[in-house]
Amino acid sequence: MTTFLVNAGGLALMAAIVWWFWLSRPGTKNSNPHP
Amino acid sequence: MNDTPVLKTALSISGASCQGCANKIRKALAPLTGNADLVEVDLEQQTVALPEGVDTAEAARIVADTGYPAEPCPGPEAVIDTVNHTSPAAAQTPAAAGSSSGDDAQVLAISGASCASCVNSIETALMAVPGVTHAYMNLADNTATVRGGTQPQALVRAVESAGYGARVIEDQDQADDDRQQEDKRQYRVLMVKMAVSLGLGVALMIWGMGFGSMTITDANQITWISLGILTLGVMIATGGQFYVSAWKAFRHHNANMDTLIALGTGTAWLYSMVVACVPEVLPEMARHVYFEASAMIIGLINLGQALELRAKGKTSEAVRRLLDLRARTARVIRDGEEQDLPVEQVLKGDHIRVRPGEKLPVDGVIIDGTTRIDESMLTGEPMPAGKGPGDEVSAGTLNTHGAIIYQATRVGSETALAHIIRLVKKAQGSKPEIGRLADRISAVFVPAVMLIAVASALIWYNIGPDPAVVHMMIAATTVLIIACPCALGLATPMSVMVGVGKAAEYGALIRQGDALQTAGKIDLVILDKTGTITEGRPVVTQVHALTGDQHQLLALAAGLEQHSEHPLAEAIVARARQDGIEPYRITGFEALNGKGVQGELDGQPVRIGNRRWLESQGLAVAPAEAAASAITADAGTPLFLAHGQDVLGVIGVADAIKTDSEAAIARLHAAGIRVMMLTGDIEATARAIAGRAGIDDYRAEVLPEDKADVVNDMRRKGHTVAMVGDGINDAPALAAADVGFAIGTGTDVAIESASITLMRGSLHGVPDAIEISRATIRNIHQNLFGAFIYNSLGIPVAAGLLYPVWGVLMSPILAGVAMSLSSVTVVTNANRLRLFKTSHKAPAMERCQ
Repeated sequence: MTTFLVNAGGLALMAAIVWWFWLSRPGTKNSNPHP
Repeated sequence: MNDTPVLKTALSISGASCQGCANKIRKALAPLTGNADLVEVDLEQQTVALPEGVDTAEAARIVADTGYPAEPCPGPEAVIDTVNHTSPAAAQTPAAAGSSSGDDAQVLAISGASCASCVNSIETALMAVPGVTHAYMNLADNTATVRGGTQPQALVRAVESAGYGARVIEDQDQADDDRQQEDKRQYRVLMVKMAVSLGLGVALMIWGMGFGSMTITDANQITWISLGILTLGVMIATGGQFYVSAWKAFRHHNANMDTLIALGTGTAWLYSMVVACVPEVLPEMARHVYFEASAMIIGLINLGQALELRAKGKTSEAVRRLLDLRARTARVIRDGEEQDLPVEQVLKGDHIRVRPGEKLPVDGVIIDGTTRIDESMLTGEPMPAGKGPGDEVSAGTLNTHGAIIYQATRVGSETALAHIIRLVKKAQGSKPEIGRLADRISAVFVPAVMLIAVASALIWYNIGPDPAVVHMMIAATTVLIIACPCALGLATPMSVMVGVGKAAEYGALIRQGDALQTAGKIDLVILDKTGTITEGRPVVTQVHALTGDQHQLLALAAGLEQHSEHPLAEAIVARARQDGIEPYRITGFEALNGKGVQGELDGQPVRIGNRRWLESQGLAVAPAEAAASAITADAGTPLFLAHGQDVLGVIGVADAIKTDSEAAIARLHAAGIRVMMLTGDIEATARAIAGRAGIDDYRAEVLPEDKADVVNDMRRKGHTVAMVGDGINDAPALAAADVGFAIGTGTDVAIESASITLMRGSLHGVPDAIEISRATIRNIHQNLFGAFIYNSLGIPVAAGLLYPVWGVLMSPILAGVAMSLSSVTVVTNANRLRLFKTSHKAPAMERCQ
């Protein structure tokens, strides 16, 4: 049970990191557009 | 200049970042304006200037179709007469003069930024402000430069909302002083914090290992809980800034170096506190506390930042040295009275007296007295220059010889020195293409490290040896601590600052970080002849007297030519003056266009002119023919001199090759660079000059407007081209080249079109700048390589990759040491550039003089 909780918690934490820093990040402009 | 059509800023564009983009826009607009040269693209301000009357809406559409979003400038207030912009000093408005960059850029002083991720967050926040076209943060001096029309307060709010501090820099000098004071204060604070946290960490370690135990038992549980609380207090007091910064960044979906420090030390403390408070939830082997690690990591990072701060101060030494050149007071003569005034109170038109040994406070023109002025601090030229009434003098130079009175023409931020300081600062704050690599990586780096830390913790938990909980905590903490990308953020700006400063020491003003990078790749240097390879003013090179009396020949020639203003005449008069020859008094002077000049001495005509004219007057020039041929072969113009019916001799006048041009060209060859010359001269003269200067290739009879075509042609053939020139007619070629070098003694237009300005007339500035550029880019590569390698090797080791082979798991404390060392190493390596010397050494004789 502990093993499951630790692993599930870890995976959830990783998912949260991805969501917070990438998926939910406000849109940004490119600082050096070069067509 | 008078023929130049007035161009008006018509479009504001975005996305044009290099000369290639500018050329594309110019070419696209050529059908509309009738000539691509009538289109001016300002990459700095992201504007396009067009001749009056051109349909701006149509122009905007064409530019947008080319791939660069463009719109017509909104109203008359945005219109700038670009012709007036050709004089950098004259163009400075008081408001612009206050900013460090001298254009529409706004400069913010940033606080709280510590790594490449912070830089990225701040730039992103600034770019999101409506109207901002360009934002660049320089971590080396903690400033952000923003271009585009927007309110300063909006920029400050944007930075603050990203979790950092910002204020607008209005007075650059004051800002520099403030920053120096702040750096000193910050250094002291960091050292105290370091002593406290490191002291606690070491004490805990000694106590735990020597007298007690780091493993929790019933006997020491209360003590460790108390020590844990004490540690928390010290962590907040000495490392509070990391937690605050990390939290602010987190709220804005950002992560930075402080995030890693906060998570790393926080994890170690939290784990230890759980162990201390409820040890029974963990296996006996895992009941070990790591309070000392949290305290020591914060101490070490504080130490690293203090050392970094001290080293950063040294990189801006070049600018400080320039600032130190300024005189504090001026002896101003007003209403016949002399008074010592602070230099800020000197007005244009004031008469200023300068005695020997004093610095000149402002720019001006000498009205009385002659002297020698040491301009080496501005131009790198070791010989003091002779100056007399009518000659221009610059602020910051040293009067070495006589007392002079001069009239102030440019004061305060308009002086050449102030302009140089602005240029150097601007270039130091700009980022070469290579620096953007670090930004792109750091934006995803910190969150990626957090993922790696969690993943490695899970791996240790699932397949690691006992005590698995301890190992997973150590691995996660160590990964977080070792991965701090502070070295990455410093790698480029530190080297650019030192490199640009070093170039300035050698009299080469680099206007853009990109030029610094491109200069290192140059494989073809195209030189304009007149004023670049040659002196740009004719001098007497040969005197052949058929009578054998050179003295008499020059006295006669000077007597006649002193009435003329032709450059050839000036050369002859100058030579006579130089030789101490008193010119004859000649009357009845008359200039005959295209033929020569004549006058009268002792009732007989004296004539100087070309062969055809003298022959047409019935004079026998044949005896001087051999001498004339020698002059022509030497790329000179022969002038025949006759008194009465006797041809007395021939004087050769030529635009002499600068004494050091040949050596400078040889240095370019040694660096593996081909050298080409462009000249409007005829083939024979071009060949003679190219041969003497050691030039590989030349184009003769090139019209001024064709120079840019030659540059473009060479670029199309795959060369990375540098163009070196000094005249207005060189400006298009300078702008078309990958790197334009303007000879600083040349025109303002040339200087504005070039990306590098050479403050002295010598060509040695070109190989100097190229060598410094190569050294700087090499230094940046070393720094980036070091920083990347450190992170790429450090993270797997911290995650425990070596454990299966050697049973080694890195301690979080060692990770803290390594992280601090990486930043200090990068900064130290950048400072190493300060010792760089180019391959050129001024002749010993010049130095002695």
